[in-house]
Amino acid sequence: MEVLPRFEVVRPSTVAAAIAAHQGGQASRFVAGGTDLMVNLRHGLGTPERLIDLRHIPALCTIATENGGMTIGAAVTLAEILAHPEIRHRYPALATAAGAVGAPAHREAATIGGNLCLDTRCVFYNRSAWAREANGFCLKHRGETCHVAPTGQRCHAAFSGDLAPALLVYGATIEIAGEASLRRVPLSDLYAEDGAAHLRLAPNELLTRIYLPPDPWPALYAKARARGAIDFPLAGVAVALRAEAGEVVGLRAALTGTNPRPFLLAGVEALHGERLDESWLDRLGKLVQKQVSPMRTTLLAAQYRRRVASALARRLAAALGGMTAEGGAAA
Amino acid sequence: MLQNRRAVVGQPTPLIDGIEKVTGTAKYTADLPIADALIGRILRSPVSHARILRIDTAAARALPGVRAVVTGEDCAQTYGVLPIAMNEYPLARERVRYRGEPLAAVAAVDAETAAAALALIRCEFEILPAYETAAAALAPDAIPLHPDKPGNIERAVHHRFGDVDAGFAQADLVREHVYRCAEVAHAQMERNAALVEYDPARDSLTIWSTTQVPYYVHLMLARCLEMEASRIRVVKPFVGGGFGARVETLNFEIIAALLARAAGGKVFLPLSREESFLTHRGRPETEIRLKLGMTRAGRLTACACEVVQRGGAYAGYGIVTILYAGALLQGLYQLPAVAYDGLRVYTNTPPCGAMRGHGSVDVRFAFEALLDRMARELGLDPFAVRRANLLTAPCETLNGLRVESYGLGECLDRVEEASGWRQRRGRLGHGRGLGMACSHYVSGAAKPIHWTGEPHAVVHLRLDFDGGVTLLTGAADIGQGSSTVMAEIAAEMLGIRLDRVRVVAADSALTPKDNGSYSSRVTFMVGNATIDAARALLARLTAAAAERLGVPETAVQCENETFFAAGNDGPGLAFAEVVRAALAREGGAITVKGTFTCPVAFQGGKHKGGAVGATMGFSYAAQVVEVAVDDETGLVTVENVWVAQDCGFAINPLAVEGQIQGAVLMGMGQALGEETRYEKGLAVHTSFLDYRVPTIGESPPISVHIVESVDPNGPFGAKEASEGALASFPPALVNAIADALGLEIDTLPVTPDRVLDALARRRRAQRLAQALEEAL
Repeated sequence: MEVLPRFEVVRPSTVAAAIAAHQGGQASRFVAGGTDLMVNLRHGLGTPERLIDLRHIPALCTIATENGGMTIGAAVTLAEILAHPEIRHRYPALATAAGAVGAPAHREAATIGGNLCLDTRCVFYNRSAWAREANGFCLKHRGETCHVAPTGQRCHAAFSGDLAPALLVYGATIEIAGEASLRRVPLSDLYAEDGAAHLRLAPNELLTRIYLPPDPWPALYAKARARGAIDFPLAGVAVALRAEAGEVVGLRAALTGTNPRPFLLAGVEALHGERLDESWLDRLGKLVQKQVSPMRTTLLAAQYRRRVASALARRLAAALGGMTAEGGAAA
Repeated sequence: MLQNRRAVVGQPTPLIDGIEKVTGTAKYTADLPIADALIGRILRSPVSHARILRIDTAAARALPGVRAVVTGEDCAQTYGVLPIAMNEYPLARERVRYRGEPLAAVAAVDAETAAAALALIRCEFEILPAYETAAAALAPDAIPLHPDKPGNIERAVHHRFGDVDAGFAQADLVREHVYRCAEVAHAQMERNAALVEYDPARDSLTIWSTTQVPYYVHLMLARCLEMEASRIRVVKPFVGGGFGARVETLNFEIIAALLARAAGGKVFLPLSREESFLTHRGRPETEIRLKLGMTRAGRLTACACEVVQRGGAYAGYGIVTILYAGALLQGLYQLPAVAYDGLRVYTNTPPCGAMRGHGSVDVRFAFEALLDRMARELGLDPFAVRRANLLTAPCETLNGLRVESYGLGECLDRVEEASGWRQRRGRLGHGRGLGMACSHYVSGAAKPIHWTGEPHAVVHLRLDFDGGVTLLTGAADIGQGSSTVMAEIAAEMLGIRLDRVRVVAADSALTPKDNGSYSSRVTFMVGNATIDAARALLARLTAAAAERLGVPETAVQCENETFFAAGNDGPGLAFAEVVRAALAREGGAITVKGTFTCPVAFQGGKHKGGAVGATMGFSYAAQVVEVAVDDETGLVTVENVWVAQDCGFAINPLAVEGQIQGAVLMGMGQALGEETRYEKGLAVHTSFLDYRVPTIGESPPISVHIVESVDPNGPFGAKEASEGALASFPPALVNAIADALGLEIDTLPVTPDRVLDALARRRRAQRLAQALEEAL
């Protein structure tokens, strides 16, 4: 058994109190479900002195309908999202993504905010302290070398949250609270393409709410994984697509599990205004293959993750375009 | 006679310790009282292969709260499961041979202090070349891991039975193919842990540990601590799975004892999941080159098999594993000629050992996959090919294995029918397929590892004034349900209620020595010993009842806890009355002993290594697997499994069904996802995220069919029921994929990336063939 560091837990009841409780730097950490953080702490990835438990802040625990869209507090659990009738009905890709995380017990604890702020993962990083030390540590934590790409100077750890792609294709924005600020930005602004620093969030800033805009496009999420539960995505794909008279008038696709950040597929405009047929799907598939950059961060081959991301994007688009009966079937 | 009386045996019966398990009150090693125990922790080698120049523990010893620090200096005795191959130290001495090997250990007042102490230990190494694969270790310039084993060959086996050349000459079709199986681990749910209490005043020691064989722990602690065995007590609490991982005494058990003695007190040493994986003893990475000869009618004419196993850094069970791999080529089908060449290789990876289906699983995968390939080539049905090669019991194989009961034919009939094979095969649509395969396993190794001249199993039954029957056995119930089986056998034989029997198991202070829970020996051997003991107790009760009833002993019968004279309509004597009479007659509490010994005739062929594989009864299994293969994602989904196993007689059909389902799921894990992985010798699979045991999410419906061939020597005709069905899953899956997509897979596990790679290879080959055709 690996020993947890000694820390205190504070339980503020307001966002302001939570931020005030943060001592800055890495000495304090926000925690909600803890399904990722506690495992990492047992592995010696961080030694916070204070954990700030966000689950007792009512404002972070509610789901509301506002201005035709929806607002989800960052501490809402994945199980609550999965069970929410309106989310299931209007934003089904989000519900699918929430249901694809971990196993039922994880979803009871894990939160949407935690999933969006999930640390990046790598087979050389998510290890015991002994194994990392035996390996000379790594670029992401205490080390000089990235074992995935030893000649480079970049961390390739992959973002592995399931919810981000669905939220990205729905055009979600997020609210970030700081010491003296409150800002609202597109979700994609939260992330940077750097496995060692993938969140554009100051240590004492807090993701508080997620806004889903009204009139969502039809969208689906699919997750590639080796097993039916537990696994993080080898690749996760969300596609939103509007078609009129067999012609694509709107397309968004977003990916997770393949890069240090979840991202919206660029260049989809080129696919607008065209018939959704096999050659269109091929072009979408190629676009995905080109933009994902899976590295050797998982035990399953990186090349597989590239291929399956592309296959899933094609499959979802075909389903949304009415080419197949069902599309949500997760791999 | 025995089979006709089935008041208890043959009835589906919940495990007698099931309530504790499902209510969470069962006490596993980590649940024992440890409030007053020191916490132990192990320092593990960061390097794969090195000379140890120095281990400096001074700073760790000086840390407040540290009560003991031990290193290789503290134990100069090797240990190991095979008396002929003990070459491992609990803590490395002079040389370290794999990343993760224990170098030192500390006991401290709490886990935090223990961790801090480990960080203060300084080690200096002289790095040696390390070999992660069998091929690397076998290279001509490789230095030996063990000085007495040049070339890093732990054991080479060369067996020849029958005229192999003539066999191949008679064949209409001869095919040779190479199959590869990844190394797999047991992934037992409960992590390794030991609690040791040392009494410095008496120089005595008690260990509670996660073991399958308390007797081996007892022997190895006595050896490594150089203590008299009588000063050691070994207790097995509830154990959460073994699957072979815990047959051998493991380093952490000896380390915990060394720490407790050094600290002069009580030490709790719990291992993390990673450490449990590093302790290993799993199924080795194996390459099999298999050649079979077959007639047009599907009859096998000869078999030639070469096996290379990457054994890891120490001997462990290795010699037995490489012998099993060859021996269990036989005993399933009629094989007129067999050549076997096995190589067990030392490498700088954690030591392999015994794992469910020990030695047989990977070879069976190759054999059954090649059988199907050849059947396809000859246009034969897979069932027909198996049926063309059935044995006729009783018989003896070329390598001296005795087959006394053989239900494989019925197993084939049952799964063929249940799966709708004839109607459904080839009609399931794109990407769907059915595959089948067979397998077998021993019901206990007929020759024990330690030859003592004692019986192979001993059971005590104790009866006192309360009328309770206490069954004392050294056999370790590790979740497989052996205590329930023994209770059922005793209750059946004595004609009493099951809840009148109390089982006390695996505590060396109380229970007779048992050779342990391995090779599926317990039901067969300890079951027979229980029958023997129950007969002895029944004789005492019968004598007392006869006296009270005033009839000869031969006239006394017992049913439903009542003794009566045959043909007499009287009320008879209640069990309690007979107990009182017997105790008065015998002078108080009665203890009887029952034993069982496998006759020498069953102990295998005369050739070197001939004892391995020999057993009194083989179980037989056939299974059909239905798959759906997604050719865009490479994902293989197991839709259904139909499995039939000949377990001789199901003493507890409920437990048998559970064990067979467990074997199928474990086979499915190996077939679809489980594999250990090393990066420069460092294990990177050491969590349940990266070591992909199937979850309940992808567990298919498993339809279990119990076939009862009633073995002439098994207790009530019973044979083993929990290993035999494992080995037929991987080949049945691969055969089903071949049926679904026409895709030949020859490597386990069949992960989605491997499926897509195989599809891509086939497309390239097809394009090439087409291009060639067009060019011509």
